[in-house]
Amino acid sequence: MTFKAFIFGLLASFGFPWLVAVVIPFSKMRSLEPVRYEEGSKLSGVFIPKRDGRITEGSKVYGQEGCYHCHTQLIRPSYAGNDVFRDEWAGLRKTADHADTRRETLAMDFEGEKVAHIGLSRVGPDLSNFGRRLEENLKGTDMSPEDWTYQHLYNPRGLKNYRVGSQDLAERSSCPAKRGLFKVVDSSGAGGGLLPIEIEEGKGLRPTDRARQLVSYLISLKKDTLGQPLPEVLNRNPQASTVEE
Amino acid sequence: MAETTSTTEPNDVALRASIDRSLRHPVMFFFTSGAVWLALAIVLGLIASAKKHFPELLDCLSFVDAGRVDAAHLSALIYGWGVQAAFGMIIWLMARLSRKECSNAGTILAVGHLWNLFVMIGVLSIMAGKGSGIAYMEFPIFIWPLLIFCYLAITIWSLVQFQVRDAGHVYVSQWYLLAGLLWFPWLAVSAFLFVFVFEGHPLMATAIASWFKGSLFFLFFLPTALASAYYLAPKVTGRPVYSYNLALFGFWALACLGPWAGMQKLVGAPIPQFLPYMGAAAMVLILIPAISVGLNILKTVYGRQEIVAESPSLRFTSSGIVLFVAYGFLSFFLHTVPAMKMTQFSYSGYGLDILGLYGVFSLCAFGAIYFIVPRITGREWLSRRFISWHFFFSLYGVASIVICAVVGGITQGQGIEDVSQPFATMASRASQYGWGVTIAWAFLLFANLFFCLHLLLMWARLGRRSSHPTLLKGHHAESPHGPEGEIDNIGSASA
Repeated sequence: MTFKAFIFGLLASFGFPWLVAVVIPFSKMRSLEPVRYEEGSKLSGVFIPKRDGRITEGSKVYGQEGCYHCHTQLIRPSYAGNDVFRDEWAGLRKTADHADTRRETLAMDFEGEKVAHIGLSRVGPDLSNFGRRLEENLKGTDMSPEDWTYQHLYNPRGLKNYRVGSQDLAERSSCPAKRGLFKVVDSSGAGGGLLPIEIEEGKGLRPTDRARQLVSYLISLKKDTLGQPLPEVLNRNPQASTVEE
Repeated sequence: MAETTSTTEPNDVALRASIDRSLRHPVMFFFTSGAVWLALAIVLGLIASAKKHFPELLDCLSFVDAGRVDAAHLSALIYGWGVQAAFGMIIWLMARLSRKECSNAGTILAVGHLWNLFVMIGVLSIMAGKGSGIAYMEFPIFIWPLLIFCYLAITIWSLVQFQVRDAGHVYVSQWYLLAGLLWFPWLAVSAFLFVFVFEGHPLMATAIASWFKGSLFFLFFLPTALASAYYLAPKVTGRPVYSYNLALFGFWALACLGPWAGMQKLVGAPIPQFLPYMGAAAMVLILIPAISVGLNILKTVYGRQEIVAESPSLRFTSSGIVLFVAYGFLSFFLHTVPAMKMTQFSYSGYGLDILGLYGVFSLCAFGAIYFIVPRITGREWLSRRFISWHFFFSLYGVASIVICAVVGGITQGQGIEDVSQPFATMASRASQYGWGVTIAWAFLLFANLFFCLHLLLMWARLGRRSSHPTLLKGHHAESPHGPEGEIDNIGSASA
C-alpha cells in the first residue's frame, strides 16, 4: 500500500458516507415537497400542522434546560415501536366526542424549531402530545394548562390531580424541579402576575421569561389529528378518519 | 512493523530522550488538566445519575439542574478529559514514531491553555442554561469554531513531523494517528456547519449531531486508543504485532464502518429511512473490527501474561482492548432490529457510550499515560498501590455502570413497549438500576482521585528517582519494559 493510496483510502472511506448520509439528505430535507389535501376532502391547500405558542424560543429553552435527556418527542411508526398504542402518547382514542386522533410524528411537526428534540431516553413520558393530554385531563377542573405546567415545573411532586389512567403520579414523579425558572417575590405590592402556588407566608412566585416561553412551548405540543386531519397520503392509520366528523 | 526494543545504541537513546524532553511540558499539561477534568466530569456524572432516581437532590441549585448537569457531564468528559488525553497521546506517539523532536512545544502549550479556557466557558455556559440545546453538541455556538481552531493549532505539528520524518516504515499506530488527525477536522467542521450555520430541516440538525457523536468516537477516540495499543503491546512485550494483514483488515473495517454510525438514534423519525438503519447496521458490524483488533493485540501479548500483570501500561491497555471486544458484542446485540425497539430510548445507549469512552478509550489512555509520564518527567511513579487501586476501581466501576445501564435500559425499554403496563410502573422499576449507576460512578470517582493525585505529584517532579519502572508485582532483575523501558536518561539505559 503506497502512501498516496492510503490517504486516498482515508478520504474515500469517510467522504462517501459523508456525502450519502449527511450532505445529500441534508439538501433533500431542506426542501420537502409540501403535501396537499386531496380534491374532495373538506380541507384544501397545503397541510401544515398548526401550533400556537412561543415555538422557536420555547424550543430553545427546552433544549438549554436539557429536557431531551429524559423526554422524547417522537411517536414511532409501529414497525419501530409501540408508541402509538401507549395511552395518550400519540393522541386520543375514539370517544363519543371525537374520532381516533392518534398519529405518528411527521417531518412538518418541527416547523419553527431550530432542532428537533427527538430525545435520548424515556425516563419520563413522550411529550409529542403533552398539550393535548393535559387539556383532556384538566377538563372539568378549574385549573388552566398553563398553571398546571408552572406548578409541575416548580414542584413536580406537589401536584394534586396528577393522574394518568388509574395511577396517581403526584408522589411518584421522578421529574426534577426547575426552581431556577421562577423568582420568589414579596406578595405585598407585587401586583399581578403571581402564580397560584403557595410557598410561604407573604411570598409569591413569579415565572421568568424563560419559564413563560417554555410553558407556552410545552402546551403547544399537540401533534395529533384533532382539528387537523391528515391528507390521505400521510395517513398510516386507516381506521382513523382523515376528515373531521 | 513493530518497534523492537533491541536497538539501544547511544544515539537512539539520546534521540528518544531529546524527543521526550521537547514534549515534556505540553504532554504533561494535557494529561494533568485532562485528569482534573475527568474528576470533575465524574462528579457531574454522579450528580446527573443520582438525580434520575433521587430528584430532590440539590434542587435549590439551578446550575446543576437535571438536564443541564447531564449535558455538562458528557461535555466535560469528552472535551475536557477525552480530547485532551488524546492530544497528549497523539503528539507524543507521533513524535516518537516519526523520530522527530517537537519544535513547537510553546505554541502547543499556549493553545492547550486556550482549549481549557474554551471548554470551561462551554461547560459553565451549559450549567448556566446558555448552551446550544442540541443533544451531543451542547456547547454554545461560538465555542465550536474556537475549539476547532485550537485542535488544528495543536495537531498540525504532528502532521508536519510525519511529513518530514526520515523515510522508513509507517507503523500501524501511525495509520490510526493519521486517520484520526485527518478525519476529526472534517467531521467537526461539517457538523458545525450543517447543525449551526446552514439553514436546514430541524430533524437533520438532530440527525447530524447524532452522527457527529457516533463518528467522534469511532473516528477520533477509537483510532487514538488503538494507536496507543498498537504501540505499547509490541513495545512492552518486545514482540512484533501478531499479524500485519489482520491489522490492515481491522483498520479498514473501522474506516469503512465508523462514518456511518450515529443516526441509529432516529429510528422511526421522519427522515430518509435508510439513515438510521445504516447507523444501526454499522453499530452491529463494528464487531468485525473489534474482533480483528482484539485478536491482533491480544495475540501479540499472549504468552507474556506475567508482563501484562506487572506492567501498568500493558495491563490498562490490554483491558481496554478486551473491553473493545466486549463493546463490539454489546453493540451487536443492542442494535439488531428487534432490540432497537427497546434500546433506542433507554439507558442502554448511555451504558454503551460509557463503555466506549471510559472502558475502551480511557483505559487505553491510562495505559499510555503510565508509559509516557515517567519518560517525559524523568521520574518513576511513586506508588504501586495507587496504580493498582486505580486499575481495579476503574474496571469495577465501569463494568458496574455498563451492566446496570444496559440491564436497566432493557428493562426500561421492555416496560415502555409493553403497553399493558402503566408508564409509571416501568419508570419506578427502571430507576432501581439508576442506584447501581450512581454507586458505580462513586467507585470511578475514588479511582480517579488516586490517579489525579498521583499524576499531579509526578507533574510536580516528586516522582521516584530511579531507573527501575514501577511494576505492579515484586521487582525483577530484568525489566519487562525491555532495556529501553527504563527511563530514557542516557546514563541509566545501559542495562
